[in-house]
Amino acid sequence: MKPLRLRRLSAQAALIPTWVIVIFAYLGTILWTIRISFTSSGILPKYDFVGFEQYERLFRSARWIISVQNLAIFGVMFIVGCLVLGFLMAVFLDQRIKGEGIFRTIFLYPYAMSFIVTGLVWAWILNPTLGIQHAMHNWGWTSFSFDWLARGDRAIYMVGFAGIWQSAGLVMAILLAGLRGIDEDIWKAARVDGIPTWRVYISIVIPMMSGMFVTAIVLLAIAVVKVYDIVVAMTGGGPGISTEVPAKFVIDYLFNRQNIALATAAASVMFVAVLVVLGPWLYRQYFRKERRAA
Amino acid sequence: MNTVTKNRALAVVASAAFGLAGMQAQAADKAEVIHWWTSGGEHAAVMEFEKAFDAQGGDWVDAAVAGGGGDAARTDGINRIIGGNPPTAMQFNTGKQFDELVSNGLLRNLDPLAKEYGWKDKINPVLLNAVSVDGHMYAVPVDIHSNTWLWYSPEVLKKAGLEPPKTWDDLLTDLAALKKDGVIPLAQAGDAWTQVLTFYNVLITQGGKDLYMKIIKDHDVDAVKSPEFLKVAETFGKLRDYVDPGMQGRQWNQAIALVIDNKAGFNFMGDWAKGEIDVNKKVPGKDVGCIPGLGHQTYWVGGDVFVFPKVKSKAEQASQALLAKVLLEPKVQLAFNEKKGAVPVLKDVSSEGMDQCAQKGLALLKSGDYVPSSDILITPDMSGSIQDLVSAYFTDKSQTPQQFVDQFAAIIGG
Amino acid sequence: MSDPIHPRGAKPRHLTPGRIGLYAFLVFAAAFFLLPFYVMVVTSFKTMPEIQQGNIFSLPSKLTLAPWVTAWAKACTGVNCEGIRVGVLNSFKIMIPSTFLSILLGAINGYALSFWRPRGGNLIFAVLLMGAFIPYQVYLYPLVRMLSMVSLYNTLPGIIVVHVIFGMPVMTLLFRNYYAAVPVDLFKAARIDGGGFWTIFTRVMLPMSGPILVVAAILQVTGIWNDFLFGLIFAGRDHLPMTVELNNIVNTTTGTKAYNVNMAATILTAMVPLIVYFVSGRWFVRGIAAGAVKG
Repeated sequence: MKPLRLRRLSAQAALIPTWVIVIFAYLGTILWTIRISFTSSGILPKYDFVGFEQYERLFRSARWIISVQNLAIFGVMFIVGCLVLGFLMAVFLDQRIKGEGIFRTIFLYPYAMSFIVTGLVWAWILNPTLGIQHAMHNWGWTSFSFDWLARGDRAIYMVGFAGIWQSAGLVMAILLAGLRGIDEDIWKAARVDGIPTWRVYISIVIPMMSGMFVTAIVLLAIAVVKVYDIVVAMTGGGPGISTEVPAKFVIDYLFNRQNIALATAAASVMFVAVLVVLGPWLYRQYFRKERRAA
Repeated sequence: MNTVTKNRALAVVASAAFGLAGMQAQAADKAEVIHWWTSGGEHAAVMEFEKAFDAQGGDWVDAAVAGGGGDAARTDGINRIIGGNPPTAMQFNTGKQFDELVSNGLLRNLDPLAKEYGWKDKINPVLLNAVSVDGHMYAVPVDIHSNTWLWYSPEVLKKAGLEPPKTWDDLLTDLAALKKDGVIPLAQAGDAWTQVLTFYNVLITQGGKDLYMKIIKDHDVDAVKSPEFLKVAETFGKLRDYVDPGMQGRQWNQAIALVIDNKAGFNFMGDWAKGEIDVNKKVPGKDVGCIPGLGHQTYWVGGDVFVFPKVKSKAEQASQALLAKVLLEPKVQLAFNEKKGAVPVLKDVSSEGMDQCAQKGLALLKSGDYVPSSDILITPDMSGSIQDLVSAYFTDKSQTPQQFVDQFAAIIGG
Repeated sequence: MSDPIHPRGAKPRHLTPGRIGLYAFLVFAAAFFLLPFYVMVVTSFKTMPEIQQGNIFSLPSKLTLAPWVTAWAKACTGVNCEGIRVGVLNSFKIMIPSTFLSILLGAINGYALSFWRPRGGNLIFAVLLMGAFIPYQVYLYPLVRMLSMVSLYNTLPGIIVVHVIFGMPVMTLLFRNYYAAVPVDLFKAARIDGGGFWTIFTRVMLPMSGPILVVAAILQVTGIWNDFLFGLIFAGRDHLPMTVELNNIVNTTTGTKAYNVNMAATILTAMVPLIVYFVSGRWFVRGIAAGAVKG
């Protein structure tokens, strides 16, 4: 055995590209973003200092408040929906299914397609005068009513629904990878002991797959915080501003509305919120447990 | 070194390095043009520019980027200007979008060219004003669009026994009659910007030119709190009763299509709606009626411009000058605008060959019945806040006109 | 092990009510997932007048292939009318190295962070995780400046670097969490055998990473292939990916929207990720970890 130090050295060396990226691309940008949020910049950065002016404006904005509320609704619905549906699909696919490849591809394909177009298709399907409601009326069920996308108080749920459609397949793939990574012997042992399948999943498999669940949750959470395309394609933030989301706020102000100071203030708030909401959980997941002795 | 100078130093280094690289990459007379005209009619129009430019010895390198009303193209162009690899020319909307590029000294001053070709006497003064900062010209306007038209289906009106409206009260009566007949009275799109167009139509043509200018140009809060503006808010609010449940998710072209197909009575939209009418082999002004404003007929002047970023290469500067000249040649202007469904920016153009709607518009322009578009008068930031408010009000019937007025005053008052 | 190349949950059974329910669920779920795809396909074969009639579920009354031809070879983006085929080669040139490098770096990071606990490892991971939550658009301006400084702005290596940068958080997370389920004894045994950092990585860890490599490939191939914003800003005129053309075709605002061409173009551009999804199945195998310990 080589001395421990030397080996650690090659681990450090292997991480050099990562360090460069972390320091310049990530830390640098995060600091830059926070700095700009305290200025009066328009479309180009200006390095003056106006204190918390942008933040005050941000929290006076009705649109920002609605965006944050929508994010919470969308986030809960999307994460829970994707996890439940994705897990069910993964487990069912893991039962020596005929045509597994075809099912897997069908569940995953929404993820491959540009949401700018699939979002439009969902908007058609859910539009009362074009889609399901219209088809039902044509088939004689005239009292059928399904106009949630057109109602300011419910449209966000339809956005969440389309979001689940798009991303549940990815969760399925991640959890399937987890299932396939589990040692065959576990199943043999469980079978020998006569434990029912569902109990094996709940008591043994799910805890063993906690890493994959964490991966899925973090990926979904990133998607929630950044949710943008889906809203633009399906509702454009409407009716009115009822389906606006924070990332759309940032992007609108960054480019269209030419106020990068307000945009970076909103991005900084998102960043801090993530730190506060997810930080403790991530910390517990990754940093507190001394799980491994190297 | 403080941050500002440090950044400036970096910019100098970067632009020095890239100036060189840029020169090698760009052979003489090549002009890379960023724009967002990618649809059928727009494509045909921009081809006119390319043909004319190439015929005079230029070499048009097309860099079209669609999306978000030019968002993607502007993001691309602005980042390239910052990154030290600017395009030869770049499209903006007529208005304040490029002001900051001017104040940071990133755009070429076009005064010498304007003098040489006498542009200051030839271009419509509203547009000339819009492309000038402190009296210096920084952009070449290429077209005039009016965003405030009311389109209607003569057939639907006839069937219901109605006359085309002349006033806002006429319109509200017609809408109520159509609603009773079970026809979609007002085909409105769900996108917020289309609702903003409808709002400005009410403000300008019911409230009048002066009210519009007082509020949008002078940011006069008292004008917002006036009874006239409350009336505008009420009328705009009444329109909420005449849209159908299919509004949400409908795009502007689907909305005008309802009027074209005689499924709906009215639609508020800019003059690019003519593209859709043409595609359906119908004639604007005949098969689909056009009204340039109920009450006060007013032309709302907006449009597109090209800016020319500062470049180092002499050859590229020469192609900028050539391109600018070509864009404003009367023949090119006519050919381009005919296909674009817009009006040329030059003052002395004949209306021959234009459709009825364009002629109505041109007549208003010549008689001075026009206002600059809100893009020319207010920053994109304030436009955005107005858009949020207008679309929230329009889609939520529980909001009262008075609430709308109060919130509007808060935005205008800053 | 009885049959290592086949998946297995519970013990194999024959056609029982449970199995019928299983297939019923899968078929029902598949139908739900396919509904929008059905609308896209029928729309792509319709003529524009028929689309404007507004019955989105009906089959095309007169089948037309024209939208597909247009999307591939004729659709106009500005003054160029060559469809989406122009950018396909560029998209491959960007996607292949970017996918390979970002997965490789992610795997190395995940492996190093899980087993070697290098100094500052926690900091790296924390920053990456947090950075992943900021909208990409915020990064544009600083990145343009940084890449300009090192002469990578508007070059092919530049766009690849950008994809590697933005792939890093998720790739690192993915591999770190996957390796967390690997028995630590495996690693210890390899070290007792005298394995160094790279030997253990290439001989022990990579061979047992099949399923997670597939997931990583799914994420990166899809993300990079469908990327529009970075390609537009960082790739430069000579390397514009196909999505810029797709966007130009699909995303016009004040022109006539050719929905049939949009649908055809979208399905065409999605072919590459779809093929990757379909053929990736053979790497979704079970029980390699156990084999590695015994073998």
